[in-house]
Amino acid sequence: MKRSWWYRFIFLLLVAVTSVVMILPTTMDFHEESNYPVKSKINLGLDLQGGLYMILGIDFKKVYKEEVEGYARKISNLLKDEGILATNGELDVADELDPKISLVLANASDMSKVKDKIHEFYQGYIRITADTGTNLQIALTKVLKTQIEEQSVSKSIEVIRNRIDEFGVTEPEIISQGNDRIIVQLPGVKDIDRAKDLIGKTAKLTFNLVNNEVSPVTIQEWITKAEATGITFKKGDRFSTYLNGLNDYLKGEKLLPAGWVLAFEKKVSKVTNELESKIPYLVEENTALTGEALQDARVQIDQQKNEPYVSLEFKSSGAKLFEEITGNSIGRQLAIILDGNVYSAPSINSRIGGGRAQITLGSGGFNSVMKDARDLALVLRAGALPVQLDFLEQRTVGPSLGHDSIDKARFASMIACLVVFGFILIYYRVSGGIAIVTLGLNVLVVLACLVGLEATLTLPGIAGIALTIGMAVDANIIIYERIREEIRKGVGYYKAVESGFDSAFWTIIDANITTALAGFCLLNFGTGPIRGFAVTLIIGIFATVYTSYFVGKLLFEFYMDKTRGEDLSI
Amino acid sequence: MFEIIKSDTKINFVSKFSITATLSLILVAVSIFGIVTKMDYGVDFRGGAEIQLKFRDAVALDGIRKTLTDAGFKGIAAQSIGEPVDNEYLVKVQGDESNLNQITDQVSSALSNTYASAGVEVRKVDIVGPKAGAQLRISGFQAMLWALIAIMIYIGLRFDFKYSPGAIVALFHDVTIILGVFAFFHVEFTLQTVAALLAVIGYSVNDTVIVYDRVREHEDRNPALALGTHINNAVNETLSRTIMTSLTTLFVSGVMYVFGGLAIRDFFLAITLGVVIGTYSSIFVAAPVTLFFDRMKGKEQGSAAKA
Repeated sequence: MKRSWWYRFIFLLLVAVTSVVMILPTTMDFHEESNYPVKSKINLGLDLQGGLYMILGIDFKKVYKEEVEGYARKISNLLKDEGILATNGELDVADELDPKISLVLANASDMSKVKDKIHEFYQGYIRITADTGTNLQIALTKVLKTQIEEQSVSKSIEVIRNRIDEFGVTEPEIISQGNDRIIVQLPGVKDIDRAKDLIGKTAKLTFNLVNNEVSPVTIQEWITKAEATGITFKKGDRFSTYLNGLNDYLKGEKLLPAGWVLAFEKKVSKVTNELESKIPYLVEENTALTGEALQDARVQIDQQKNEPYVSLEFKSSGAKLFEEITGNSIGRQLAIILDGNVYSAPSINSRIGGGRAQITLGSGGFNSVMKDARDLALVLRAGALPVQLDFLEQRTVGPSLGHDSIDKARFASMIACLVVFGFILIYYRVSGGIAIVTLGLNVLVVLACLVGLEATLTLPGIAGIALTIGMAVDANIIIYERIREEIRKGVGYYKAVESGFDSAFWTIIDANITTALAGFCLLNFGTGPIRGFAVTLIIGIFATVYTSYFVGKLLFEFYMDKTRGEDLSI
Repeated sequence: MFEIIKSDTKINFVSKFSITATLSLILVAVSIFGIVTKMDYGVDFRGGAEIQLKFRDAVALDGIRKTLTDAGFKGIAAQSIGEPVDNEYLVKVQGDESNLNQITDQVSSALSNTYASAGVEVRKVDIVGPKAGAQLRISGFQAMLWALIAIMIYIGLRFDFKYSPGAIVALFHDVTIILGVFAFFHVEFTLQTVAALLAVIGYSVNDTVIVYDRVREHEDRNPALALGTHINNAVNETLSRTIMTSLTTLFVSGVMYVFGGLAIRDFFLAITLGVVIGTYSSIFVAAPVTLFFDRMKGKEQGSAAKA
């Protein structure tokens, strides 16, 4: 058995050391500035640290209805340019997921021409469901509906993310589930009603003029001065608190011109939720125009320059106002502000009449401009076309309960471990000791994987770990019982250990794969905490196979080597 | 060697199959009756609101019910949970899509008005809309169904398809009986319970597979002997392991059940039951079913040969 177990030993050492390195930040409190390579801790689920978990559903019926109405209006406008008179007729919502609207033509003889126009301009988006006499009925195509669904979800996530900032939650999680659901997790939030209010309300989009008389340098000086007095923004604070503090201070110092306030364009990392940069703007306190004036905003591509731009379409009342504003402020910037944050501040190049405007974005690669254009259109449409979010499911856990749960579960896990460890130590003696070492390593590896995968530890997750210990013992027992059988047959210790491990291998694999299959099914269909259980279970299974079989074997070889195969306490 | 089960047991398990089969059939039938008529679905599956409250001072359950009835709630259920000294209560109210959003508010304001002096703290609120409840129900059953199918296919491929029915019948047996116990003892059926059932499925099939593994080993070595003999030998040889593992897992789940706190109590109740029933079924259900199918096949072949 003098095989080269060195490389396996080094690998084991590597696994053990890495695991410890990964777990240390969770168990000890390192300073933020310390040079320790691992920063992340085990992510505690909401059931353990308290907070709010919600599932929001998007009401597509309403969205479809508004979309089909919008297209009908656009088609009538298009036809007007062609000299054909058509008015929007009845809306048919017999099938709420496929609303239809009719266009009433003044002249039945225009029908074929109208159909041609719709084909020409809206092929793939609009389908014609009926045409009788002067009545033409249209509906959305499946392609468009899918597009709307995707947009609605990402738009809603954008809006929610924006508002969550208002809470100063350090690790919010906002993810889509399926094509019509959004899961929002806010650890540590206690003020449920405010959270729901904020998330549920429609986005507030405004257009405010930007002051171009004060130079950016001066603005920066003001901010530096204000921050020197202790008005600063840290991760986890409410941004609005910082902004209000800043504005109040500058007003008090009489630095801000009357009627103007500061607003920021901030870039927040979508991965870490951390603020990457913030550009200050001095904007007019009075809102020039609100999002209600807006009919639609879409990304289009300038065929000549091959450049994406955002095209805006105003409602008729908004169009007049917009013409007035642009006429009076040529050469100035108009900030587009969603829920208090500046998203873009395009310059006004000329007086814009007719209710249609274009926003060209800065230079850059096609893809990055395209992305910016999409984001901007999303923001504009969030104001123009509010998506209704329904609360489908909501779970709140008070922080004290989470604390109690974690204490109890931890205490119980420890007792369970002690009982099991004591039992196998009595039953298998020295070999039991080896089993305990592998089990300890098992738990260590599972915890390290949780840190490494940034998985969330939930209460069922702790249960999963406890269960893993129970099941991991099984792998050891299977091996040891095999070894005992071999010894009873009168085989020497060396041989007994070797064939014990060999014959147990496939049994352990089979047993664990079937359990893993159940785990994957849970992961696929489960929600929230259940997935937490599945994750720890699956990680636990892999750890079990490695620690119980491979590490166990290594330790046994070591043990056999020491006793020269003359003694085996099992 | 320290042994709980003597290494040379020669219990004739196969001969007891007729008794255990009858017992299992009765248990499964009673359980199905219980599941259909008595199952207590939690808020996860039927929709509504569930609010966990902690009072500083003891309050009467009737008082809570009355306060909520007076406040106009429907389908109120209130029960105390945990140790009596904790003064913790679980309040459930019915709700529909329209008022779900305000329920928490209304419940806590109704209670805090009446019990201001008793110091009420809202510890946990679960609100599930009926639509979401239906979705959760579907995905829960889907998870179980797919787990069963995946395991059946794996066993069929790794061993032989003659083993699959035994494993599946054993799983069905275990899940049904656990659900039956839940129904008769009014333990709520929640998402957590589904997770526990899947863990049980994993455990039970694990147990079964280990016995099958041995049976196959014996069959390979000695194909001339009858399957019943192989099963008897395999069960006897793995008995020590089966008992040991069941004991250690029972220790863990038992300790977690007693000390782990309310939040995971039902979870570990299902696991504890699952370990006991799963151990029983891997010996007395999975193997006989395999034997039964084997004999059926043998008869078919036999009659085919005669003809």
